[in-house]
Amino acid sequence: MAPAISCVFLVALFSASCEAIASTDQMCIEKETNKTYNCENLGLSEIPGTLSNSTECLEFSFNFLPTIQNTTFSRLVNLTFLDLTRCQIYWIHEDTFQSQHQLDTLVLTANPLIFMAETALNGPKSLKHLFFIQTGMSSLDFIPMHNLKNLESLYLGSNHISSIKLPKDFPKEKLKVLDFQNNAIHYLSKEDLGSLQQTTNLSLNLKGNGITGIEPGAFKSTVFQRLDFGGTLDLLVIFKGLQNSTVQSLWLGTFEDVNDEDISSSVFEGLCEMSVESMYLQKHHFFNISSSTFHCFTSLQELDLTATHLKELPSGIVGLKSLKKLVLSANKFTSLCQINAANFPSLTHLYIKGNMKKLDLGTGCLENLENLHLLDLSHDDIEISDCCNMQLKNLSHLQSLNLSYNEPLGLKTEAFQECPQLERLDLAFTQLRVSTEQSPFQNLHLLKVLNLSHCLLDTSNQHVLDGLPVLQHLNLQGNHFPNGNIQKTNPLQTLESLETLILSFCDLSSIDQQAFIRLKIMNHVDLSHNRLTSSSIEALSHLKGIYLNLASNHIDIIPSSLLPILSQQRTISLRGNPLDCTCSNIYFLEWYKENMQKLEDTENTFCANPPLLRGVRLSDVTLSCGITAVGIFFLIVFLLLFTVALIFAVKYFLRWKYQHI
Amino acid sequence: MNRVAAALLVWTLTSPSSSGRGDAWPVHMACSSGGLEVLYQSCDPLQDFGLSIDQCSKQIPPQLNIRFGIILREDIRELFLDIALVSRGSSILNFSYPICEEDLPKFSFCGRRKGEQIYYAGPVNNLGIDVPQGEYQVLLELYNENRATVACANATVISS
Repeated sequence: MAPAISCVFLVALFSASCEAIASTDQMCIEKETNKTYNCENLGLSEIPGTLSNSTECLEFSFNFLPTIQNTTFSRLVNLTFLDLTRCQIYWIHEDTFQSQHQLDTLVLTANPLIFMAETALNGPKSLKHLFFIQTGMSSLDFIPMHNLKNLESLYLGSNHISSIKLPKDFPKEKLKVLDFQNNAIHYLSKEDLGSLQQTTNLSLNLKGNGITGIEPGAFKSTVFQRLDFGGTLDLLVIFKGLQNSTVQSLWLGTFEDVNDEDISSSVFEGLCEMSVESMYLQKHHFFNISSSTFHCFTSLQELDLTATHLKELPSGIVGLKSLKKLVLSANKFTSLCQINAANFPSLTHLYIKGNMKKLDLGTGCLENLENLHLLDLSHDDIEISDCCNMQLKNLSHLQSLNLSYNEPLGLKTEAFQECPQLERLDLAFTQLRVSTEQSPFQNLHLLKVLNLSHCLLDTSNQHVLDGLPVLQHLNLQGNHFPNGNIQKTNPLQTLESLETLILSFCDLSSIDQQAFIRLKIMNHVDLSHNRLTSSSIEALSHLKGIYLNLASNHIDIIPSSLLPILSQQRTISLRGNPLDCTCSNIYFLEWYKENMQKLEDTENTFCANPPLLRGVRLSDVTLSCGITAVGIFFLIVFLLLFTVALIFAVKYFLRWKYQHI
Repeated sequence: MNRVAAALLVWTLTSPSSSGRGDAWPVHMACSSGGLEVLYQSCDPLQDFGLSIDQCSKQIPPQLNIRFGIILREDIRELFLDIALVSRGSSILNFSYPICEEDLPKFSFCGRRKGEQIYYAGPVNNLGIDVPQGEYQVLLELYNENRATVACANATVISS
């Protein structure tokens, strides 16, 4: 008997474990009901039967499909996006996609393709994006082109292609992106470029190809949206080759792992013979920059010199008078005056972020940039005891200023007086030293967005945020309030136009009922990651239809009197709170179930109490607190049965005892 | 009793074997010379990767050259490296470094796509440091803009 029982037990155990394996191994993730599935990394060798016939978007990468043919996907007639990255596909047989009329994007990246049948891509009515990256292709003839009339982008990177020449009948009317990065293309001939003639505004990517020659006149009268020659060693060849072309955006940067030589000024002579709007020269070394180096850059609107080892720019530079946007990030300036801003009087956008040395802003270094709209000076180790009027002198049109991730800045009243047009100001992660009673942002009449996260702001200063009449968005994440409490009088009360307020990670334990009373039009309040209890909800009683994030606080019980305040809001998150799931919280638990459509992240909103329900989703909890009558009934029945049993026991005991007399 | 044996046999044959995916990846040696030994193990449950470091020594020179081979599980238009250094159970150093960014792709492999096989042999642009004697645990994590893991390594550095 015992062996038989253990056998049954073992078999049961075995079958149970088998089921568990099957269910975890085969499951695709349904990202959008009946439409989008993710089946990545499952080792599947066919389309699982569990997928809906109406699937539109299928991520099927890292599976096993050595051969795909007309039966492989025939059931999924609504597919628009199909990702077959690294599925070990060798063969794509006839009519594989014949029933996928809607197919828009097909990703075949990293499959060791041996052959594609002539009709392999027939079926889709409007195939727009094709990815053949790292498929071992050495010639474009490999791609069957009967059904590519609507093709917009073709990605052919990391193959063995040595010529960009498109086959004779290759449809290119709608082609916008042609990506050949990391191939073996070394020469561009007139014939190669001639094959692209019918395209308009093409983006051609030749990054990582080591172009060593371009036939003179090859690019004559061509127009490109973007040309990318990233990592090319010899820029002289490129500029000479591009003569008489028009390029909107020309990417000529290099990389850490490419041995480049110093660029001499003569390299740029070719630029006089072409028209470029934006040029990128990242990571190059310039040999001897002089004031005439840029004399052929006159048509340029945008110049990116990121990480080009610059220590200074000479004064009196010719050719950059009409430049609109300049990027000088990740260089080695010690003072802002070293960029000689007078060179660029038309500049509207200036980026100097991530400077490799501590940047001294000096005095009035940018005063000639009267048209400057945007200035990015983040990650520069800037440290100033009295900011920012001297430093930003005469920038009266500045609308956007980024001083985030710097060393401490001392701000006094009207610290940004020189830029009264400011609409966006970002000071995140820069410590601000504001003396008591000072109002550094005073008179920023147009400021809409202010980021003060992790600024260690002195919030006991009631006037610190004075003078911001139209401020809509304020981020105060990571700042602390006296005693973790926002009192009735607090610096926020003056911000009557505020719509978005972020007070997460502020170590708050309470908020006064009246704390936000003058902030009447807020629609997004983030109070997450604090120590708030439900009583702080009262501070929001005057607000309606807001997004309210209360995640990761100390909320356990929400009394019924506070539920109307929650009911009048649009979306609420309560994830990560020690929510109570006992009868003392029954009103909230009932409200929760009735208002699921208002709640965000319900999948991760769990009970913390009682211990039996810890970790259970609130949405799965059903309490029966009003059902005590049934409890009493059962108790009575139990007592009755117990009494009966006791009587019988006594009876038997007595009978047994007297039998022996 | 036979039935029990049969059931046991079936059980052992079909139960998930501990030598399969559940098991950790093997420990590899990235380099060992000049008094320095670097061992690593992939902590990405999906795959292993290959790494070797040239010029291994206690005085780590700047601009180390490495060789690195991996299959990308994610696009790396943006790629970040997190390093956590631990010695004797206490944390010494944590830092995060951008390798590829939209506006500054530092390396030629930036922008490559999910599924691609990558082999990189070249400099890593590190600072030169002297490694004091001891044993260190280093957790290295490469991830993209969506915080999706590209590579993860548990390394042990032994300086003697």
